[in-house]
Amino acid sequence: MLRWSGVLLMILATSASAREVIVGSKVFTESVILAELATQLLDARGIETVHRRELGGTSVLWSGMLRGDIDCYPEYTGTLRGEVLASKSLQSDAQLREALAQMGVWASGSLGFDNTYVLGMRKDVAQRLSIVRMSDLAQHPELRFGFSNEFMRRADGWPGVKQAYGLPQSDVRGMQHDLAYRALVSGAIDVTDLYATDAEIAHYDLFALPDDRRFFPNYDAIFVCRSSVAEDVKQVLQSLENAIDAQTMAGLNAQAKLDRLDERYVAQRFAVERFDVTTSAGLDTRMSRIWQRTREHLGMVAVSLVAAIVIAVPLGIAAYRNRNVARVAFAIADVLQTVPALALLVFLIPWLGIGYGPAIAALFLYSLLPILRNTHAGLADIGRDLRESAEALGLSPAAQLRYIELPLAARSIIAGIRTAAVINIGTATLGALIGAGGYGQPILAGIRLDDLGLILEGAIPAALLALLAQGLFGVLERRLVKAK
Amino acid sequence: MIVYEDVAHAYAQAPSLRGVTLRVPDAATTALIGPSGCGKSTLLKLAVGLVWPMRGSVTVDGERLTTENIRRIRHRIGYVIQSGGLFPHLTAKDNVTLAARYLRRDRAWIDARVAELLEIVQLPFELLDRYPGELSGGQRQRVSLMRALMLEPEVLLLDEPLGALDPMVRFGLQEDLKSLFARLRKSVLLVTHDLAEAAFFSNRIVLMHEGRIVQEGSYRDLVERPANEFVRTFLRAQRVTPDA
Repeated sequence: MLRWSGVLLMILATSASAREVIVGSKVFTESVILAELATQLLDARGIETVHRRELGGTSVLWSGMLRGDIDCYPEYTGTLRGEVLASKSLQSDAQLREALAQMGVWASGSLGFDNTYVLGMRKDVAQRLSIVRMSDLAQHPELRFGFSNEFMRRADGWPGVKQAYGLPQSDVRGMQHDLAYRALVSGAIDVTDLYATDAEIAHYDLFALPDDRRFFPNYDAIFVCRSSVAEDVKQVLQSLENAIDAQTMAGLNAQAKLDRLDERYVAQRFAVERFDVTTSAGLDTRMSRIWQRTREHLGMVAVSLVAAIVIAVPLGIAAYRNRNVARVAFAIADVLQTVPALALLVFLIPWLGIGYGPAIAALFLYSLLPILRNTHAGLADIGRDLRESAEALGLSPAAQLRYIELPLAARSIIAGIRTAAVINIGTATLGALIGAGGYGQPILAGIRLDDLGLILEGAIPAALLALLAQGLFGVLERRLVKAK
Repeated sequence: MIVYEDVAHAYAQAPSLRGVTLRVPDAATTALIGPSGCGKSTLLKLAVGLVWPMRGSVTVDGERLTTENIRRIRHRIGYVIQSGGLFPHLTAKDNVTLAARYLRRDRAWIDARVAELLEIVQLPFELLDRYPGELSGGQRQRVSLMRALMLEPEVLLLDEPLGALDPMVRFGLQEDLKSLFARLRKSVLLVTHDLAEAAFFSNRIVLMHEGRIVQEGSYRDLVERPANEFVRTFLRAQRVTPDA
């Protein structure tokens, strides 16, 4: 993996022209935003800059910079001291700066926030167990820990914490950082490692345990560059010193992660607000953004609708044939329909996590009732004369269904599917609340940021899509329903 | 030949047949008549297994109807109802040929049979591509008759086939049907509530009342030797005295 990333870096580096500055970023939102911000500010100063995003972890970026594949990237002092230069056991920032200089690396001052590790719990669990600081964890050996894989390995991660606080817990698992959040929220684990500027802390209402023995080192965000980069590059990066506090950074992270705004756009907005610099973000055009969301939105609607058709039409047929099936199926579908969409999504998260899964499941459940009801009604409305005529012709029940009953019920069934589709297109905007994307994203982000243009960017396509669905099903109905 | 042997039947609300024994002979038309709710339509439905007897038996050509053999027997019986029962989503031709196609009959055979039937019921070829909604009431009943005759059944069950037609159309179709029955020599069981129509089609009229057969015979038998007071009342209510 590492080796391949190295090869990739070399390819990327050789493809770039010699003059331009190459800024790298690690594979997480904050790193991408910071690198993007630097790139845009450098660009605005007339320094040609490219951002190679999400290249890998610390070691990839660090070795890539030493080799000259990239010029600068955002880093944290704690990472440099405890990981990259661990053998040198550096105590102060001054010592760090000196050690870096010896290796040909220049470092900016702190950007203004300390993105240290913290251990986080659900607020209600912490309150129930009266845990108010990290040392309280020692009293609860039954707690289940789920840490990001990197935290499990690092000397300043779990091994160090365990020793420093004398923690007895035995149920300790490594998992992917984002999955750890879901596991924590759904109650599959009790404690995980967080970064102090994580957008999710506020979003999931988590409690960040104070590090009362001051175990975690400082993780001040800085930029590191090859010492050979031009002075004006260093000047621009120095203009970022103390420009971003932890809360601001958490907010920017939230815009990108929870509102799903493009990191380039987040950086651009911040550059305007904080530095009054209008940068060219090289953003996707509005049309390409809408197209991307259209694909997400249609994906959710189509998958859930097809699944609902596959289940609800046969169920409607069974209900038409058997009164007991009808009673049970309608009771369940009716109840499901009365559950508010938001509540349904929240119920589904513990089982299906966040993202596409619960969104599609919820839309599927909402589509069941209209299709089920219309299938049943369409079949039940067929006159007794016609049903008896089909039977008297000596057709098997399957043939009666195929040649007579379903074609006669087709208008009603299609109407049910059309209703479900239109409801789905509207409800799918809520998918953005749980990270499923779609037209809801700009609507939610627009509401949060009070940006009418952004709201309309989601609302107008959603309305158009609903109209389009209406029209398409109308055509389909005319094609399929032949009776005159 | 259809034989009903002491057949009783009841719908959810009320009994419809209280012990009916009747033989419907081959190559002859039998007219079933009686007031609404007397059980005459139920008697037809019993012969195609749309309802099942609670007591007694129904046999078609010596075969007692069961849920196992009913589908096969239905292919030997033509059934026409008052509304025609044509499927509105199928063209006249598709209505007529549905059962034959379902049974995977040879296409050439189907086409030949359709041509033959058009002549029998006297319908122009162009009407075959129309949907039932585009046909007149009389045309619909002719198509319905074609559908019933498609598989060359030995038995025809007609449940008030002319009941919904206006008098002129009805008159023409009565004439056509009568000559058609004479020519085809099928076993026909015709339900009607009109005594004149019954008398026109058949000299064997079966009069029913409240789930029982009250009298069987020609029109003259009914008029001259009514079995009871109900028969007399029923005849009076018809207000006609045709020369049967």
